[in-house]
Amino acid sequence: MDNNDIKQRLQSYSRRLFLQRASLLTGMVALGGGSYIYNPKGSWAADPIKVGIATDLTGPISWGGIPNANVAKMVIDDINAKGGLLGRPLQMILEDTATNEQLAVTKVRKLVTQDKVDVVFGGITSSMRNAIKDTIVNRGKTLYIYPQLYEGKECTPFLFCTGPTPAQQCDTFIPWLIKNGGKKFYLPSADYVWPHVLNAYARTVIESNGGEVVGEEYFPVDHNEYSATVNKIMTSKVNVVFNTTIPPGVAALFKQLYEAGFSKGGGRLACVYYDENALNITPANEIEGLASCLDYFKAVNDPYGNKLQAEYTKLYATKNPFTAGSAATGMYRGLRLWAVAVTEAKSVKRDPVAAALDHAKIADGPGGGCEMVPGTRHVKMNMYTAVANSGKYEIVEKSKGPVLPGECLKA
Amino acid sequence: MHQAPPRREKRRIIPLIEVTLLAIALVLPILLDDFWVLFTTRVFILGMLALSFDLVWGYAGIMSFGQALFFGMAGYSAALLATKWDITSVFVLLPVAAIVGLVVAFVIAVIIILGKRPPNLVFVALGTLTSSYVVERLARGWSYVGGQNGIPSLPRLTAGSFELTEGPLFYYLALVLLALVYLGLRVLTRSQFGLVLAGIRQQEHRMAFFGYKIQNYKGFVFSLAGLVAGLSGGLYAFHEGYVGPGQLGPVLSTQVVLYALFGGAGTLVGPIVGTGLVDLFSYYLSQMWQTGWPIVLGLLLLIIVMFRPTGLIGFLVSDRERVGSFGRPSKVVPIRKASHEPA
Repeated sequence: MDNNDIKQRLQSYSRRLFLQRASLLTGMVALGGGSYIYNPKGSWAADPIKVGIATDLTGPISWGGIPNANVAKMVIDDINAKGGLLGRPLQMILEDTATNEQLAVTKVRKLVTQDKVDVVFGGITSSMRNAIKDTIVNRGKTLYIYPQLYEGKECTPFLFCTGPTPAQQCDTFIPWLIKNGGKKFYLPSADYVWPHVLNAYARTVIESNGGEVVGEEYFPVDHNEYSATVNKIMTSKVNVVFNTTIPPGVAALFKQLYEAGFSKGGGRLACVYYDENALNITPANEIEGLASCLDYFKAVNDPYGNKLQAEYTKLYATKNPFTAGSAATGMYRGLRLWAVAVTEAKSVKRDPVAAALDHAKIADGPGGGCEMVPGTRHVKMNMYTAVANSGKYEIVEKSKGPVLPGECLKA
Repeated sequence: MHQAPPRREKRRIIPLIEVTLLAIALVLPILLDDFWVLFTTRVFILGMLALSFDLVWGYAGIMSFGQALFFGMAGYSAALLATKWDITSVFVLLPVAAIVGLVVAFVIAVIIILGKRPPNLVFVALGTLTSSYVVERLARGWSYVGGQNGIPSLPRLTAGSFELTEGPLFYYLALVLLALVYLGLRVLTRSQFGLVLAGIRQQEHRMAFFGYKIQNYKGFVFSLAGLVAGLSGGLYAFHEGYVGPGQLGPVLSTQVVLYALFGGAGTLVGPIVGTGLVDLFSYYLSQMWQTGWPIVLGLLLLIIVMFRPTGLIGFLVSDRERVGSFGRPSKVVPIRKASHEPA
């Protein structure tokens, strides 16, 4: 900037302009400079409560991560519209963990050390939870709430799980399967942690109800040639195929079972992660009669769930639906329970909130209310058994009251 | 007229970059907040892994898509020692990690590189990629090492009764180790030995006709790179507090290749710069467009690798400097004595 330039500017800075700016400044100060300058967005007087959401918005698990983020935003907006918590607004800080555990640790670190969030929600797969939990809970000294149905055995302090456990998915479901299918079970499974642990539990429930496990087999997740297994299932007259293979392998298994005439011959297909979203994996006729057991189905048709569905569909359309298998219901439950706990604790600090969360309960939710079982960091909730009928679910049984999680078993 | 100054004085840009980066790295923890210290520490650790790839590809022309294998195996070994035997001493775990990296790399080298017939580039690339893939699959299915879930909640490294918490302390540990490794590799690659490696990279057959045992050189360099990758794997596991099968697999292996190519292979400093920049880009892109950022990042990497094969460092450093000089500046010797004995 040369001398002429400066001169020009000084000249152009007229008395009128000075007066204008001075009056604007005075006005700003008079109206409460702090709020105007530091918080232009809203009229909140207090600092926001920071809620970290770390989920898989990209990568193979994004079908679950996107609804999770959507639900979180919906609930947080709702809480804010009703005045926030403790007179403070909630601020949602969303991070994409990209279905990549290595990357996720950094993202969660950002939430914990830079944003200094008051609580972290997220993770879909167990491997993701395992990768990030230490960074949040032990190294980060922050509360962590994990929303997905999983294999159980998570006993880390300050880590609360709000999705169904094996006990919740088996205790009412397997007796129903024995009654409505038969006593001979076959367990084709994907070879990773969840199926192994779930099967171990399912086996005890099957056997204690007088059933029998004819076979238990593990395949790589992308396995697509099941003829030997299907043959064994057909020749040994299995009544129930209790499946824990997952996409992409699961589509081939169901197709081959269908072609062998398993369901037509009276066999019962069962799969506990199958929600409305999963119905699209296979043609409807191949999974006719498939039974699933989850904490919520659209078909439950409860007024509160319907309201949530309507609200969700209005905001986000139907591409990434609000279902149980994607952990969206667990996310809803987690956020509401946490909000109740914060209100009770009158604080957002980890220890008092965890203490209040330990016995928090909500009266309404998708599929009904639920409550934390004190001392377990797991949730007691209603469970529903549904059967696929021409591409839609029909509820065939509802648990008698909330089912206990049976976790965490370690003291 | 006075004698013209030697031209080499003019083209020393790499040392300048090195010194600048080191100076910045030394003061960084004072300037940055906690998160960025952790972020940079991770860049140093992954930068070390990228260095190991640069050693094999940038200097010896071995296309290794398996650096994550040595990284992950070392991480798993150290993690198992820490969780099953309660060994947390940094003086045990890091050497163990480095040795595991070395041994695994040596075993792979014996299978892939030191066979009866010299392998070609594609064979080595696919061989290392497959090994990395196979071991990842095995780790996913093996419950002793946690299967898919990996080994969570690792204890912190200790030095005596002192706990190495992540933050400035771990930062300087990683920086010192990275600097030492860097220095070692720099001396090695700029020595007469490095000249042989460069010869192998440029014209393998001619080097063979000179009488160099190319496969032995390659095997040695490959194992050494395994050692570096192992050390970085050990550090990584304890910095992140977790090991999982993703740390063994082709995804990380490929990521490292991209770090190196993006920054500029064959320069040592390039891959470290590449690691930092790729991670920074991916961080900021993921903040800007949360559901589509991997696409943008992928395109960016693709453009650089396609149109700037010498990487970002190629904008600053001439080809001549990239190739560099080897060993002591040679005295003027009669041409007849100029040829070297095989080292």
